[in-house]
Amino acid sequence: MMTRMSISFRAKLKIKRGVLVIDTLFFTIVNRGKANAILREAKDCGATGGTILLGEGTVQSKLLDKLGLNETHKEILMVAGSEELCEKLHERISTHFDFSKRNNGIAFSIPFKRWQLQDSVQKENVLLEDANITHYCIITIIDKGRSEECVKSAKDAGARGGTIIHGHGAGVPTDYYFPLVIEPQKEIVLILTPKDIYKTVASRIHNDLELDKLGNGIIFALPVIKSSGLVEDRQEERKGASI
Amino acid sequence: MSLLVEKFKEVAKTLTPVVILVMVLCFTIVDVETDILVRFLVCSILLLIGLAIFLWGVDLSMDPIGEYMSTEVATSRSPIKVAVLSFLLGFLITVAEPDLLILGNQIEDASGGTLPASLIVGVVSVGVGVMISLAVFRLLKSNPPYNVFMAVTYTVIFLLALFVSEEFLAISFDASGATTGALTTPFVLALSLGLSKVKGGKTQEEDAFGLVGAMSAGPILAIMLLSIISGQKNIQGTAEAFVPTEGIIKPILNTFPTILLESLVALLPIAALFFIYNLAKFKIPKKELGSITKALLITLVGLAIFLTAVNSGFMEMGRMIGMQIGDMSPWVLILIGFILGFIIVLVEPAVHVLGEQIEEVTSGHIPVKIIKTTLSIGVGTAIALSMVRIVVPEVKLWYFLLPGFLIAIILSFVVDPIFVGIAYDAGGVASGPMTATFILAFAQGAADVVPTANVLVDGFGVIAMVAMAPVFSIMVLGTLFKHKRVALPEVGVKAKMPSTFMKEQHVQHDAIMVVVNRGFADKVVDVARDVGATGATIMHGRGSGPHEQKLPLLNVELQPEKEIVMLITITDVTTNVANGLMANPQLVDDGEIVVFVSGYAAMVKTIPHEADEVVDGVVELEVLKD
Repeated sequence: MMTRMSISFRAKLKIKRGVLVIDTLFFTIVNRGKANAILREAKDCGATGGTILLGEGTVQSKLLDKLGLNETHKEILMVAGSEELCEKLHERISTHFDFSKRNNGIAFSIPFKRWQLQDSVQKENVLLEDANITHYCIITIIDKGRSEECVKSAKDAGARGGTIIHGHGAGVPTDYYFPLVIEPQKEIVLILTPKDIYKTVASRIHNDLELDKLGNGIIFALPVIKSSGLVEDRQEERKGASI
Repeated sequence: MSLLVEKFKEVAKTLTPVVILVMVLCFTIVDVETDILVRFLVCSILLLIGLAIFLWGVDLSMDPIGEYMSTEVATSRSPIKVAVLSFLLGFLITVAEPDLLILGNQIEDASGGTLPASLIVGVVSVGVGVMISLAVFRLLKSNPPYNVFMAVTYTVIFLLALFVSEEFLAISFDASGATTGALTTPFVLALSLGLSKVKGGKTQEEDAFGLVGAMSAGPILAIMLLSIISGQKNIQGTAEAFVPTEGIIKPILNTFPTILLESLVALLPIAALFFIYNLAKFKIPKKELGSITKALLITLVGLAIFLTAVNSGFMEMGRMIGMQIGDMSPWVLILIGFILGFIIVLVEPAVHVLGEQIEEVTSGHIPVKIIKTTLSIGVGTAIALSMVRIVVPEVKLWYFLLPGFLIAIILSFVVDPIFVGIAYDAGGVASGPMTATFILAFAQGAADVVPTANVLVDGFGVIAMVAMAPVFSIMVLGTLFKHKRVALPEVGVKAKMPSTFMKEQHVQHDAIMVVVNRGFADKVVDVARDVGATGATIMHGRGSGPHEQKLPLLNVELQPEKEIVMLITITDVTTNVANGLMANPQLVDDGEIVVFVSGYAAMVKTIPHEADEVVDGVVELEVLKD
């Protein structure tokens, strides 16, 4: 069944080959308070606007982790734009805010189509060469309090860390004394992994958190076509410098 | 950068101006003994360490505890249980507050024993318990509105004030300042936040504030009633003669054990209640419980260091400065009072906690900086006016309190509901340990040397002023801040999910990200469900578009709040859902909706199962390769 699906899907993609204008969402994850400055910079580059979310990051150090110091406050900035704009943003922002240094922040782009009313999936199905994808952004949505577990199994499988955003599911009415609409608190974990290990990481999370059980959560991955500030990016830069 | 480093930076930023001001004063117009000066510097460093550790511990302990307790309160099925538990919470945190016991002893002395300290502590704690209980009921029922609730409360206070002497008016406000201590305020803030989260819905934002404000009215009511019932009108008594202590390290070491014990006693009831409930109900995983316990210990150590520093270093410094400046021209006294109030309030621990909560709840939409500046101006003015009162004895306390609260109450019907909560909370938040020691000592020092002033009465009045000023100033800010609010859409009965989707096997999915104005997320989910989407996850954020909104007078950009809805849809319905959302006129016009669809991306497949009540589908990741 699965194989048949894949074949048919790939066939569909082949027909659409040639459409290469990609809209992207440009994501930046930085320490709290810096997102506004980056948004201003992005607007200078020609972006029309952006959305900022508050999140929490994880710390690498084992010692700090033991002490319970494993929480840092982060801001996540999303800017929508064409591919060229994203290229420009990567360049400007990573040099301006020194993303090549550790802990100064990361940025990555995920192809997304900004929807207009006339669109349909068939028309805009974007084509991505495998080579274009450098990383995957694994997104896990789980009940509040389980994000730590999620990041831990991701790290065990080779990921570097994760960013946690708080959110809530759509409401469910209840029968408590007060007419409350319980909105189940959720945590959204973003984990960026190189494409060669993302499958391992994702299935590890899937298994460890028992996501196959009903209501335990969902996991999916989005392709990343460009990134800056990640460990891998820095290593590449260093290599380039030494040559 | 870890949270602790952040806290250090934050505290250092607020503490530096205080140290600089004191140093400048000491080297110019004020002559202070070297011992006190050096001790002040040592204590500044201790304060930095203590407060940073304390705030960090509070973040990691009070927030989760508040959340667990509030869930327990809100989800109980009988109103009696809600009432009893919230009363108990309010009562327990107050009865152990060390500041309250000190105040009780002072009143016992001043009243010649007719009002024993234990009675005062008991009555005030009951007052807090009752107010918290009422406020929790109000919050969960959303009725009456918070501004009406507080307006009624303060009307009662002012009616009672007619029968109370000025001394007791001042003392009752001071009792309110004493109960909103360094530990209780963060806890009650966390409780409020937790309740608002459990309750959810449209009023979630404004529900996150206001509990501290309601709670601080409790002691005022309690003491006033006590004064009326017992017939005790006047208190005499003199403040103890002031003798500066000698030595640098010794006084600090002498104070520490007592303070540590007091802090422990203050922390114990909350911790005990939490652990008992944990055993009986929550059963938190061991690891989380371990980190909460650790954080509680960190909080305790931080609090003890902080209070030691304030008591042994800052209090005498304040007293000395007050005494010497009181001798000079009244204008200098008023000016220095203003500056001191302006910068000291920012070192107040609860102010940091409130600031963080505002940021968290509004996702940065209400800039914390503006709130803090407003708070500073308010408290600065309050201290300046208190100095006027010390210099000119004809000026009575209620000259300021009555119009201040009256205007605040009127404004509370004009401003955004969230500002009403923040404003009343700010009153309790601003009158914390820094005011109760440094500022109070400064005022008492000044009153000491001004012949017409009464040390006891004028001293108490300062705290009443500090409790009133922020309520007033933040309400004023709220009227400036008022901006276009669109009417939120009515959301119909939540559509039931079509169960057929879940039974399908191996389907391709797309990720849809929807960005809308705050309050429209439910509508988005509603529309999306109608056209075939299943679950959704909602996040809060703030946005910025091509048209920037600026706050009048101040050059600060206003970033409207946004909600981000993440939907995972089966490829077949993606077009339907996206078109459905874009075609909804309400979402387009008022919600300023933007829809992003990942064309290639979220290739996930559902595992077959027969659920039809679960919101989130269970999906497994499977991306096509080769």
